[in-house]
Amino acid sequence: MPTDHTYREILTANQFGRKMGESFYWGCTTRTVQESKLFPVSAYIAGSYLNAFYRYPELLRRVIERTSPEEIGDRARQAGIPINTILTYVVQQFYAGGRQIMLDMGMLRPSDVLDDVLLVYDFVERVLTSFHRNHGHVIPQDANMKNAVHSAQQTERFEAEAIGVTPGDRLHAAFSKFMPAVSTYGFLSHCECRLSFFNHGPYKTEGGHQMLVRDAINLAENDLPWLDGIAAEIPYNNLTAAVIMKDTDFNIVDDFGSFEASPSYDNDNIVALGLYTSDLLSDGYIPVHMDSPEALAELLEDLAERFQRATGELWQLMAGWTRTQMLEAGLLVYSGVGREFAHIAGIYEQDDWWQVDDQVRRFYPLLNDEYGNAIVGELVGYLSLSTQQLSPHHVERFNGGRGEMWTPIPYSVLVDDDWTATVGDMSTGGSDLPPKTGLWQTTQGKLTLEELNRRAREFKPTGWDLRHYDDDTFRKAHPDDRRPFEAIGAMVESGA
Amino acid sequence: MGESYGYHDAWPKVAEFPVVEAFHTAARKLAEERYAADGRPWSEVVHDRSLQLTRADFEKIEADLLATGHRFEASALVSFKEEPEKYNAPAGIADSGEQATDAQGRRIVGTGDNVFAVPADVEGIARYVSTVDRVMEWLVDGVPDDTIAVIDDSGGTLTAPILGQFKAVVCMGGTVRSHLGILTREYNVPCLMNATVDGLVDESRVSVEYSKPAADAYADATAAEAQRARILELREED
Repeated sequence: MPTDHTYREILTANQFGRKMGESFYWGCTTRTVQESKLFPVSAYIAGSYLNAFYRYPELLRRVIERTSPEEIGDRARQAGIPINTILTYVVQQFYAGGRQIMLDMGMLRPSDVLDDVLLVYDFVERVLTSFHRNHGHVIPQDANMKNAVHSAQQTERFEAEAIGVTPGDRLHAAFSKFMPAVSTYGFLSHCECRLSFFNHGPYKTEGGHQMLVRDAINLAENDLPWLDGIAAEIPYNNLTAAVIMKDTDFNIVDDFGSFEASPSYDNDNIVALGLYTSDLLSDGYIPVHMDSPEALAELLEDLAERFQRATGELWQLMAGWTRTQMLEAGLLVYSGVGREFAHIAGIYEQDDWWQVDDQVRRFYPLLNDEYGNAIVGELVGYLSLSTQQLSPHHVERFNGGRGEMWTPIPYSVLVDDDWTATVGDMSTGGSDLPPKTGLWQTTQGKLTLEELNRRAREFKPTGWDLRHYDDDTFRKAHPDDRRPFEAIGAMVESGA
Repeated sequence: MGESYGYHDAWPKVAEFPVVEAFHTAARKLAEERYAADGRPWSEVVHDRSLQLTRADFEKIEADLLATGHRFEASALVSFKEEPEKYNAPAGIADSGEQATDAQGRRIVGTGDNVFAVPADVEGIARYVSTVDRVMEWLVDGVPDDTIAVIDDSGGTLTAPILGQFKAVVCMGGTVRSHLGILTREYNVPCLMNATVDGLVDESRVSVEYSKPAADAYADATAAEAQRARILELREED
């Protein structure tokens, strides 16, 4: 019996899957190989793909029942909540990775889990398209590695509020001390992965300078159970630094939120900066201690010390973990990338995102370090798994080989090929990690999960109903209209 | 035509890595046997959880590979520590005994890709950092002065709490874009990535060419080799 899905749906999904596979190949082969002597990184990545395969379809269905993917993208762009390109982008990649491993193990066929594949791909494409609507692309690779997320009024606001610095002054020195401290903490708290950082831009600013907007997320007590107590003194869960640089061209700001600059990024080229916090309960970006250079410098100095202290405590905790705990921690950080969707829908449950599905735990005996490195290498680097090979005539976009990362859906399901709809409901899960017991740090204070979910369901940003005026095309045609500014809650208007 | 449960592929390929080939081939075979024994159509057996491969099945697949004499390569320290019978022991530091010397007669004990240039080369004491115990010791007692940390981990987590205290870093892995490269740059700690060392002795005095231009990540093989910074062993008279 043919599927009820349309030809158009499958064409779209297959095209999106190919685009994402090519992007992931470029990212994975040009950024770097992740490794760690502390964490079994590749093994947990492989496990996370499988967890995504088994859990995302049901978890995303629950989100869609409460909110649309486009609204999530709009909220992320407008309010600065910690949903960004990479956190959305990898939802599709990780799910597809799990599917590919299952295909290659002969436990799935390309015509299986049709509804699940279409749901996950469609959800991710819609969030990304909405989030990136200002640059009119789905992912930065479409835009020749530019990721200009924000509208003119938002970036003008960042520029207008930025505080000037010169190398050697207190604020410059404080920022130079703050960045490595928060970066180290982020890599450690996220088990060696870069999911706590995201850069977007560049945006042109006065004097021929460029602005890069740098997000650091999940810093305080939050979903990550191991931050209970250790991060109790971190007062902001998310921080955004708007950094204006001279003599620097950010020629690549990629799908992973990482960047390359020419000449190389150098703190001495920072001419101005601002610091903000935001989350799903904030009315856009809230300036943090930006009353004066001294106030911001004092805060950054204090935060750097807090992050250094927390890094030491966290390291001692993690260094005592078993391999299974390390595997599960990294696996859950990775497969937990989609949890912000549940947060914004107000339906977040800790066990949904911080337990390894029992369907995945059965694979643990295979997830040794060597297999982890090999399967991830074959899957996203070499494109060398048997299921990834197309005909000998095929030429892949970047490497000229016959491998493509993600297997498409066969069009034969539109006729009479056998197919299955879904992998089914989520199984029970578990983990050897200590459970979350603490509160959640938000811009509205520390909250219980019940309270966080309640407020998330009820919250609507002040400018939410005006969000479609936060649009450069509208503003260009209506230069005197204030609604674009009201939409982002901006108190400062460029030139005002 | 009856139901066929096997793995079908018009354009197959053997996996690049033996461990993947071994595991996936075994899983395919076991899944086919299990579905065939049930006999229902594929669409009915594929998601039937009572037919799925179990943890015991995967344990047997792993055991079968280990029974051939294969031992896994460890990445994380904890993997070898917990199951030394399954992993190869970590390799020691290479010493060919045939190191070249520079114009001043100093042994060249390694080269690497410079993450960023500093005004002058850096001299210090090469100290290996390859265990959790050493990091813990230095976290408690402080990193000894003049330490040029020689690290075999391009990640940012093993040395996270003490990274900013190093005088410089030599990393025997990764690339200038690795997490350790990113962090050392943020800390302004000179760093060589992707270093190859030969005869570099723990606690020896070295000079490292951190003043060389930053390595170009897009350089071809010839240019990449030419841009390598050297690690020179210092003698008493140096």
